[in-house]
Amino acid sequence: MSQKTRIRRFTPVQRLFHLLLILSFLTQGSTGLARLYIASSWGKSLAWVFGGYDACRTIHIYVGIFLVCFFVAHVLYVLTKINWKKLSGPDSLLPRPKDIKDFFQHIGWFLGISKAPEFDRWGYWEKFDYWAVFWGVPLLGATGLLMAYPLTATKIMPGWGLNVALWIHRIEAILAMCHVFIIHFFIVHLRRHNFPMDRAMFEGSADLTATRHERPAWIARLQEAGELESKLVAEAPAGRRAIFYVFGYAAVVVGIFLLIGGLVNSPYITW
Amino acid sequence: MIGTKRVRWVIPCLAAIFLVTEVILPTLVSAQEEVASYIRRYKDREASTGFYEQYEVKPRRMAPLVEVPGVTRGIFPYSPSAAKVRIRTRLADSHWGIKFYERRRCEECHIRETRDIHTTRANLTCRQCHGGEPIASLGHYYSPFNPIRKHAYVCAKCHQGANASYASYIVHSPNPALASTRQAFPVLFYVFWFMVILAGGTFVVFLPHTALWGARELFVKKEKAEGESKD
Ligand code: HEC
Ligand code: HEC
Ligand code: HEC
Repeated sequence: MSQKTRIRRFTPVQRLFHLLLILSFLTQGSTGLARLYIASSWGKSLAWVFGGYDACRTIHIYVGIFLVCFFVAHVLYVLTKINWKKLSGPDSLLPRPKDIKDFFQHIGWFLGISKAPEFDRWGYWEKFDYWAVFWGVPLLGATGLLMAYPLTATKIMPGWGLNVALWIHRIEAILAMCHVFIIHFFIVHLRRHNFPMDRAMFEGSADLTATRHERPAWIARLQEAGELESKLVAEAPAGRRAIFYVFGYAAVVVGIFLLIGGLVNSPYITW
Repeated sequence: MIGTKRVRWVIPCLAAIFLVTEVILPTLVSAQEEVASYIRRYKDREASTGFYEQYEVKPRRMAPLVEVPGVTRGIFPYSPSAAKVRIRTRLADSHWGIKFYERRRCEECHIRETRDIHTTRANLTCRQCHGGEPIASLGHYYSPFNPIRKHAYVCAKCHQGANASYASYIVHSPNPALASTRQAFPVLFYVFWFMVILAGGTFVVFLPHTALWGARELFVKKEKAEGESKD
């Protein structure tokens, strides 16, 4: 019973990238928050999981270095994959004028003023998520490396640069965590279109009917070019789907735990 | 049976031993270690008075009691007859003449300096950097905080290999949000507010956006068979 009801959205390599990003992001979030909140009992128990205040720093640095290498690998990967001729086309993640139009039309639709926009392959919010990570990781990586190796760093910049780097690192990290734990989680898990979870990033494919509904421009484009058939795949077996759900929800639980714990304990932050 | 004569000797002997131990030997304590913090134990490196958590300033001979109410910094009249110079930032003992200095703790007078990583997280005591009495003003030529030797005399005690550039790190980092930081540390001030506005802007747009989106989708008919009209 392998009916081809789903359309392929992500390659295995892209899914692996996303999986590693989840794992390293949550590790960085937990170890970083554990240190920021070390004066509260919540922060202490969080730090305990990783072996204490100092161990958190060590883990944070090595996972951070991993993320920097990961970013470089991603850039190399992208360079090999880019179709330079279609860079401004709908398959590209580069922002287009249509994204701005879509954004306002989407809001109009929320308010009941206009029709739902016909999204193509990538919605403007997906492009935003991608580019947020794309400049967030180098920014966090650069400021993080400066602070991880301050003696080397201060050979190329004055020591007070570390004061500045620390604050950039903090605010960017808080922005990233709030964005992922509130907005990203809501869009891919809670909104009705995707509830309980959008499996596309794990399974690699999305339900064709749902996609036709949300991204009609993409499906129409594929149909016109006669490429739709080749993109259809069958649903993953139930066992694998169960793993996707368990893993996805585990990540959500960790994220919400960090979010709520962080908000509740914010009076105890030692900046 | 022990003779009564011997018993009469034992008691004075014990008393003498007790007296000697009490007077000459140090008091018995269960542990000699001084535990400073739940994160780190750094007080073992400190130039210490030994009087933890009560007062940090070593009792010493009184300096002349000179003070003008309300004036804590800069030039103030030393006495009606004397020269009017007392620039605190150039003194060999920055607390010279400050009343009741001896029996108080640093944070009672310098609150702002307690709110940074070295104190709140690493739990250092002020004296691990500022040293024993007298605490020289930062601008005094022989102060360990003079930039020509700060890295070696202060930072390198803990940060092995610290160079002069490293020592320009602002240990008592000001609160970046405050307007006063705009003068004291403008780069930090502007970078901070730039980042805050960036982060705030993202949420001002995307939080309502996401909430509205979630609400709107509750009113969408779940998709039907293929080709049916949208919404
Ligand atoms: C009785 C209040 C008081 C106490 C207690 C006190 N200080 Fe001060 N301190 C002052 C005042 C007043 C000044 C001079 C004004 C100024 O320069 O800020 C000063 C100046 C200084 C300076 C020099 C500042 C400069 O600009 O050069 C340093 C360093 C300093 N204190 C460190 C300490 C440390 C470390 C302790 C604890 C061992 C301590 N102080 C305890 C009141 C106090
Ligand atoms: C890690 C080392 C370190 C520790 C710990 C430390 N200080 Fe300082 N402190 C410095 C340095 C470095 C400066 C000089 C900053 C400069 O050159 O502008 C300074 C400056 C000061 C000043 C002058 C005013 C200012 O803010 O620049 C005061 C007052 C002061 N410290 C008090 C304290 C007190 C009180 C404590 C304990 C709560 C303390 N310090 C702990 C390193 C330290
Ligand atoms: C008595 C030991 C000691 C001295 C002296 C000392 N430090 Fe530190 N310093 C520490 C410890 C411990 C930490 C780790 C704090 C943490 O991560 O909780 C630290 C952390 C730092 C950091 C990293 C802060 C960050 O944002 O992660 C910098 C930068 C720094 N110190 C600079 C200095 C400078 C500059 C001096 C000299 C003025 C100095 N330190 C003197 C013990 C010391």
